[in-house]
Formats: sequence, structure tokens, C-alpha cells
Amino acid sequence: MTSPIPTNDLTEAMRLALLRADPKLSRFDPLPRIISHDCFSTGYCGWSQLVGNYENDLDTMLPGYAQHTSAMLSTLPHWDSGSHGGMGSSYALKIATRPRKGAQNVAIKRHTFRQRGKIRFEIYFTFKPEATELKLSETDVRSVGFLFDLQSGDQDDGGQRVMPHLRFLNALDGQHVQKWQFKRRTTELKPIGNTNKTLSHYHLAEEDWEDLPGGAQRLCYNEIPTKINWTYLAFDFDLAEMKALSFRCNDRTFDMSGFESIRIPAMKNLWCMLNFCLFAETDSDKRAFLYVDSVCISGDF
Amino acid sequence: MLPENITLVVGRNERWSGHAATEPFEAGWAREAVIFVRALKEPKGEQPVARVEISPDGMRWVAEGTEIPMPSREGGIAVLRVKHFGNWLRVAADFPPDAECTVLATVHLKA
Repeated sequence: MTSPIPTNDLTEAMRLALLRADPKLSRFDPLPRIISHDCFSTGYCGWSQLVGNYENDLDTMLPGYAQHTSAMLSTLPHWDSGSHGGMGSSYALKIATRPRKGAQNVAIKRHTFRQRGKIRFEIYFTFKPEATELKLSETDVRSVGFLFDLQSGDQDDGGQRVMPHLRFLNALDGQHVQKWQFKRRTTELKPIGNTNKTLSHYHLAEEDWEDLPGGAQRLCYNEIPTKINWTYLAFDFDLAEMKALSFRCNDRTFDMSGFESIRIPAMKNLWCMLNFCLFAETDSDKRAFLYVDSVCISGDF
Repeated sequence: MLPENITLVVGRNERWSGHAATEPFEAGWAREAVIFVRALKEPKGEQPVARVEISPDGMRWVAEGTEIPMPSREGGIAVLRVKHFGNWLRVAADFPPDAECTVLATVHLKA
């Protein structure tokens, strides 16, 4: 299905002119339809805690999910310099891990899609460890990243659940790695409880991350743990073909021909699912913080 | 626009013993916070007093002054209410040896 609004050079020029005159949208390159535009001075905008599946008893939740906590609205306050603030307001979304090496935390925004086609996910983000030491601490954050959790429509042949993952592996076991990775395999789906209605799999397990070809990148980290700089990221994905189209981070555009998503059989309750996740992992016994200034999710429809 | 309000789950199915505390959370945008600590399982041993703690930086903690006994039975709920807390908040409790409580800690913030 094509866009119901006829487009030509003039309408596209008008669209771009309106976008570029808006200080909050001008920093993004959205596709014609903006699905959501999240500025965290206006609230959480639907970014909630990723809770694991359970049945009858919370003890049935997989440990990877049990560690998750709620995201926060943060002014990026620092003990030595006060609040850093965001790009266009005082606030950013903050996703904080627990202070235990390997700990992770995930925030999620849950939609469904009404149109199979190209979508674009754009964010401005930064990351730092908790400033518990007067040191650079550049290898304390293991990674920050994002994933989509998608499923085909209920009438589609050969329906699949498709989960593109990308993380910036900043450090691993103290080594300053600095490269983008993706995932095509997940852990085994496990039944939760005893009624055979609920399954769970921890797709952010440390195993099976693969290097994105040409995916080494050095980001701006700045010189002490309490100075941050915002970084731009854009990921294009085709919901018709369930395939990644492009990935940009600041001045770099990466070849996605070697990228693949996690693909598992469709689950019985998740039709047209369009979920977005943001996550952080720590590589030390310190909290890792992923901050997101703003998010723009758009579609070509 | 309506004033922001949000429910955060800051501790879910966590077994508290010894020196226990929720993960720190930032709530500087909120004018009030109500914190609920529910016992998900039957508490064991003598239950301590839970207290609100505030912090200048999320790393160093001082008692704010608000306290409430931890729930003494499964399903019991302790409630703490605070209005002046700056930015950082957490709930802490010191359990005597052999005492524990498995908790669900939720925070309700309102601008």
C-alpha cells in the first residue's frame, strides 16, 4: 500500500521545510509519518520497564528479566558539576543497571504496526558508568543498544517473530572494544509455569553476539565520568521484508548486508507487534547508565 | 497538559536481608512520592523499620526521617510518604540476623 497522500517535489519540500523549522524535530530525519516523537521533558512517553513473563509465581521469571527496574526521568545530575541536562530540555530517559558485572536493564515501548513498510528509529543517546571513582572509567560500561521485537500479521503465510538487535560493545572484561554487534540466535524458549500458555527466552544473554562487518567505531566519551556528549543513531528496517535496511551513528553509515535478526516461529498472541527496546549492560561492579535525550520513530506510509 | 504521574517498580520479588535497599531512583521532577513495600512471602524473623533515604548524588545516602515498620505478614503493605526530597530517593531497612522479607517496592510520583 502506498501513501494515501500524493507526494511530489513540492509536497516533499513543504514537509522538509516544516520539519526543519521545528527545533525539536529538525535534528531528526523522519520518514513521512511520525509514529512517535519522545521528548522526556514531557514525561515517559510510553517507555516502561521490560518485565519478564511469569505464571502463578514471580519466581518463575527468568533471572535476566528479574533484574530489570523502571527507567527514570533524569537531569543527568553529577556530584561534581550538577545537572548536565539534555539537548532541548533538562530531562532525558535514564536506564540504569544494578552495580554487578554483567547486569542489564531494558526499557520498552510497545506498539503494533498498521503498515508493512520502511520504519526509521532515531535517537540521541549517551552512556556513562556511575561516578563512584575519580577515574576515566571508560571500560566500565559493557554496552548500550537497542532492539525491535516484531511479529508478522495473523493472516501472513509463514509468520515469524523477528528481533533485530544492535549493541555498541564498549568494553568486555576490561578491554575497550568499541564496536557494533548484532545477534541472530537467541536462548532456548522455556515454558513458564505449568499450563503451557507462556514461554520465555532471554534474548539479551551474553552469548551469540556477532560483529557487524566494518562495525568498529570510536564514540565521544569525554574525559571524566561526569561529562557527556549526545550521539545520534538511526536504524531503518523494512516491515514488509523483515529486513534491516541501513544503520547510521553520527558520521558513519554501516553496511548492513551482513546483518541478520533473531527469527523464531510466530507466537500465538503477538500479531503485528512493533516493540522498541533500549538497554544498558555494565562490565564492572558499577551501575551503567544509558541516557536518551529524545526518540523519533517514523514510517513510510 | 495534565501533570505527570508515574508508577515505578524499583524492587520486584527481591529477598531483603541484612542491609537492604532499593536501587536508587531519580524523582526530581516530582513534588510528592508515595512508596509501598509489600511482603510477597511470609516474612521471617523480627522485621525492622523501613526508612526513606535521600542523597546528594545517588551514591551517598542519609536518612530523610520518614520510617514505617516492615510488613509483618505476607500481603502486608508498608507505606512511606515524602514531599521534600530533592532528586534522589531510595528505601532501606536493616534486618537482624536470620530475618528476611521478599518485597515488591513501588514508587508513585506526582508532579
